[in-house]
Amino acid sequence: MKQLRGHLIRTAFAVVGVTALLATSACSMDVKNQASGPSDGSLLVAADNGSPTFEKNFNPFSTSKRVATTYMYEPLQVTNTLDGKATPFLATGNTLPDAKTVVYDIRTDVKWSDGTAFTPADVAYTFNLVKEIPALDTWGVWQHIESLEVVGDTVVFRLLTEDVPAAAIIDQQLIVPEHIWKDVKDPVTFKNEEPVTTGPFVLDTFTANQYTLTKNADYWQADKVEVEKLVLPAANSQLDVVKNGYDWAYAFITDVEGTWVNADKQHNKYWFPPGGTITLSPNLTKAPYNDVNFRQGLSLALDREKIATDAEQGYVDAAGQNGLLLPNQEAWLNADLPDGGAVAQDEAAALAAFEKAGYTQQGDKMVDAAGTQLSITILTANGYTDWLQGLQTVQSQLGELGIDVKLSQPQPAAYTEALSKGDFDIAMNSFGGTGSVFQDMNTLLNSEFATPIGTGTTGNYGRFSDPKVDALLAELKSSTDEADQMAISAQLQTVLYEQLPVISMFYGGLWGLSSDKNFTNWPSEDNAYAPPNTWNSTPLLILTNLKKAN
Amino acid sequence: MTPTRTIVPPTSVVKTMSPGTHDGGGANPLLVVWRAFATIWSVPKARIGLALLGFFVILAVFAPLLAPYAATDNTFGRSEDMSPAHWLGTTAAGQDVLSQIIYGARVSVFVGFVAGLLSTIIAVLIGLSWGYLRGPAGEVINFIVNLFLVIPALPLMIVIAAYLQNGGIGMIVLVVVITGWAWGARVLRSQTQSLRSRDFVTAAIFSGESPSRIVFREILPNMTSLIVGSFFGASTAAILAEAGLEFLGLGDSTTVSWGTMLFWAQNSNALLTGQWVLLFAPGLCISLLATSMSLINFGVDGLSNPRLREGAKR
Amino acid sequence: MRYTLSKIGLLLLTLWAAVTLNFLLPRLMPGSPADAAIAKLAQNGPVSPSTRAAIEAQLGVPTGSAWNQYVEYLNNVVHFDFGVSYTFFPQSVASLVGTALPWTLVLVGFVTIVAFIFGTLLGVLAAWKRGSWLDTLPTVGGTFASAFPYFWTALLLLFFLGYVAGWFPTSGAYSSSATPELSVPFLLDALYHSILPATTILITSLGGWILGMRSTMINTLGDDYVTFAEANGLHPRTVAIRYAARNAILPNLTSFGLALGGVVGGSLLVERVFSYPGVGYLLYTAVVNQDFPLMQALFLIITISVLLANFIVDILYGILDPRTRR
Repeated sequence: MKQLRGHLIRTAFAVVGVTALLATSACSMDVKNQASGPSDGSLLVAADNGSPTFEKNFNPFSTSKRVATTYMYEPLQVTNTLDGKATPFLATGNTLPDAKTVVYDIRTDVKWSDGTAFTPADVAYTFNLVKEIPALDTWGVWQHIESLEVVGDTVVFRLLTEDVPAAAIIDQQLIVPEHIWKDVKDPVTFKNEEPVTTGPFVLDTFTANQYTLTKNADYWQADKVEVEKLVLPAANSQLDVVKNGYDWAYAFITDVEGTWVNADKQHNKYWFPPGGTITLSPNLTKAPYNDVNFRQGLSLALDREKIATDAEQGYVDAAGQNGLLLPNQEAWLNADLPDGGAVAQDEAAALAAFEKAGYTQQGDKMVDAAGTQLSITILTANGYTDWLQGLQTVQSQLGELGIDVKLSQPQPAAYTEALSKGDFDIAMNSFGGTGSVFQDMNTLLNSEFATPIGTGTTGNYGRFSDPKVDALLAELKSSTDEADQMAISAQLQTVLYEQLPVISMFYGGLWGLSSDKNFTNWPSEDNAYAPPNTWNSTPLLILTNLKKAN
Repeated sequence: MTPTRTIVPPTSVVKTMSPGTHDGGGANPLLVVWRAFATIWSVPKARIGLALLGFFVILAVFAPLLAPYAATDNTFGRSEDMSPAHWLGTTAAGQDVLSQIIYGARVSVFVGFVAGLLSTIIAVLIGLSWGYLRGPAGEVINFIVNLFLVIPALPLMIVIAAYLQNGGIGMIVLVVVITGWAWGARVLRSQTQSLRSRDFVTAAIFSGESPSRIVFREILPNMTSLIVGSFFGASTAAILAEAGLEFLGLGDSTTVSWGTMLFWAQNSNALLTGQWVLLFAPGLCISLLATSMSLINFGVDGLSNPRLREGAKR
Repeated sequence: MRYTLSKIGLLLLTLWAAVTLNFLLPRLMPGSPADAAIAKLAQNGPVSPSTRAAIEAQLGVPTGSAWNQYVEYLNNVVHFDFGVSYTFFPQSVASLVGTALPWTLVLVGFVTIVAFIFGTLLGVLAAWKRGSWLDTLPTVGGTFASAFPYFWTALLLLFFLGYVAGWFPTSGAYSSSATPELSVPFLLDALYHSILPATTILITSLGGWILGMRSTMINTLGDDYVTFAEANGLHPRTVAIRYAARNAILPNLTSFGLALGGVVGGSLLVERVFSYPGVGYLLYTAVVNQDFPLMQALFLIITISVLLANFIVDILYGILDPRTRR
């Protein structure tokens, strides 16, 4: 008995001792950059996360394709989603003879990676394939195109309506080789394990844990590609990214200065441009959210700077009530909006607006005419932690006015379903970021998306509906003149500012990390030629701009 | 994580139970509880367990007095190291870690007690009637319990948690109870079956007592240690399950608990900022709380079976 | 014979119920596979309205009444046809499971057996040397270690031994440049990668076996036949091993059958932390992506393996201990 107790006490002491030792020995343990990194012209990129390993699928039409598929296949043009400017790729440019026709001049000096010549017929084949099998039409090009034909070195698209922004969508379709794909039995389930492409890179090695691409020696602008090899591992935890000396990564990292930059102060850079606007989207079919005064009250009650800081650790700015991504879309901003659309927190004005909507402050509670406390539920998705942190601040800011805010956090799939069916009071949601002002505004405001509650939709989740706005959108859609487009956009911004169909809060960032140890000329605030994201076609812009470091 | 991990195999107690040692209905309930406590306290391991558990309960009850700051106060610097102002540093959102640990005890202790109690009640009700009943009814229960035993608990929890969104702690308790009662029921059935053929039960049957009275007044008191043990087992499993679910982000991430602390630490990559304490401290607390329950179980064994009393050499 | 037959009947019935439950569970989850796919894409930027239509067309989201789906599902299960995964479209479920299963089987199976044997031995020793340090250390240590949350142990090992010390690889089942093959270098590589996950499972599961065996062993040591053997002057070690341990191991064997299911569940968290390409990780991916076909197949495999393990244990038990046949 005594002996046992002695042992117990000793064991207990040992446990406590070891714990104390561990706790005091190191408050923080730095994970340093350990790998020297490749210097043989190869680029290590955290772009494609395996789950946890890779399945080989390079079908450019598939939604579960390997990310680097878009580094190999090219579209007609690549749009910089930050400012909407297009860079020609497989086309040398396009013209719009009228608002219902787009003519693409197809590049003539291009070869597929198996040596076959690339022709306008490949372009026509791709678009017809997508028409024949709607499951492949992920960009929805055939919602805009009526017909197309090859005329010499051009492809002429006739559109369903006067539809100027359609060109920006046609631009993005990745073009596949007819001589390969015409023999493919089922293009939907085809895994395309040996991709034949036109782009700057071709598939080199592939294992379940990592794949590599090498430079396409016959690339039509080979002189612009200085990266010899791309390495894409399946495991890219943030620890890996910091530790293993990646050249390029897309990741939201806590304390980016103390981690990523600290790992290699000389070379590691970050750039987080806005990639969308995070909003509170009230359900406009429900009272009291359908009352503009009520929405005004909510908007004035929020301190957007604080919300932005709490949600994204100070890496992004608060968003104004203008629907634009600033500063990149500065040119489009309506100069008449007070403060450029920015809304400052103003408790007195908020209370006044709530009063107009029928809510008054009684003691420390905001109550309606019957004396019941105002209680709202905000929908967000489980696991979107930055949004959640922002919402907790919204909760406390509205709480100070006496509003009871509840959060509803279903799993992402259920959140998407609730959003699409309009099953919410107020939803946290993002919009914009396509680079096209029309696309951004149209998906946000067009009443065509305002399906009845309970029926799914894919935009305008708050069910905003205003014939005047629809008319403005139609006008914007058919306008070929940029000055006109800007004038119409300015009117739409006024609608956003005055009617508050959504309450903009802050910008969602594009979390680009890059190291100029091996390659320089990464996109940055001063040189915003491309967004820093690693998916879709914009990486083609980056990969054709990087320069080897000395 | 898995409820099947700390198991005292069911048949172990069956063979050695000495029925009829219970105090019967006449004794003062307070006295019974006190005697049980004294029995457990007499075992050194259990004594450590009781002390640990007491510590966490005090932490939970007096959290507002003990914690230096409010748990959700995010007005401090982000990801700060340990300092006199913040003994364990601050989180990536600028909250005081020590305060969160202290407040977090509330959720774990609450979930442990409530979920443990509920699954024990279900296990007792089902286990005892299942053990006593013969024929088709017993087979049906046997079938249901087996089903719950073979379906993998954690994946089942994940699916249920995804379905019952937004429930917060209440949801977690429910999920843990649904997936956690079957093991206890099985253990208690074996014991009931064994006791049913004992003389004192046969005597009760012949004296015309109703089945429910036999089960709950004659058999139940003989299984005190088993039931208390299964309560602590279920509590341990519940605490670990709660932490696991919240770590996966399936709970309400806005509540402050040890599980959500781990979730946020992992989410904001505390290891990357070097603040491994953010991961270490909540995990250690979960382990210590769960350990305290298991340690108490060493003493519980001795409640109705003197031979299992720790320290009592043969 | 009747014992075995009734066990088989129960096995089949439980199997049917489990299969049906597997059908129902994923469908209870809110949101459709298309919603899940869109939610995933939306994290990378705006999803255009037309994308949704294309995704639904690609995935071929189930149509027809629930009853028809159920009948078709049962028919497919009987033919071991699990369809195509939504998450990894157009990969077939069978090939995904086929790739993942060996990793989990080897890792979890091996570690569980090692933990069972090692833990049981320690338990015997603890009960035999009751009160000495051979008892206290494994019992208290085991109690403490088995209270560690799986993922926590995994994270700490990963951080301290993987990242800070740099002794072990931090993710995956083999090096990024290796291709799975049956060669000595590859097997060594795989073994090296499995050390941390294996240690995690070992640490957290060992305690349960020690405590279980110790407790049954103490009971058995008190039984009359053991006392009788001792009184007859047999060597204490012979008594402990030949008489007590042999009988005490029976109940532990039952736990072993049931523990397999728990370990597979626990390995989900471990595999997630270590990005280990096993069934647990696959199941997690399936659940978060509402991948019904994949989820159903995995639930089924796990359930069947636990059922079979229990069936075998039950039969063994019946052979080893005739008393249970009644």
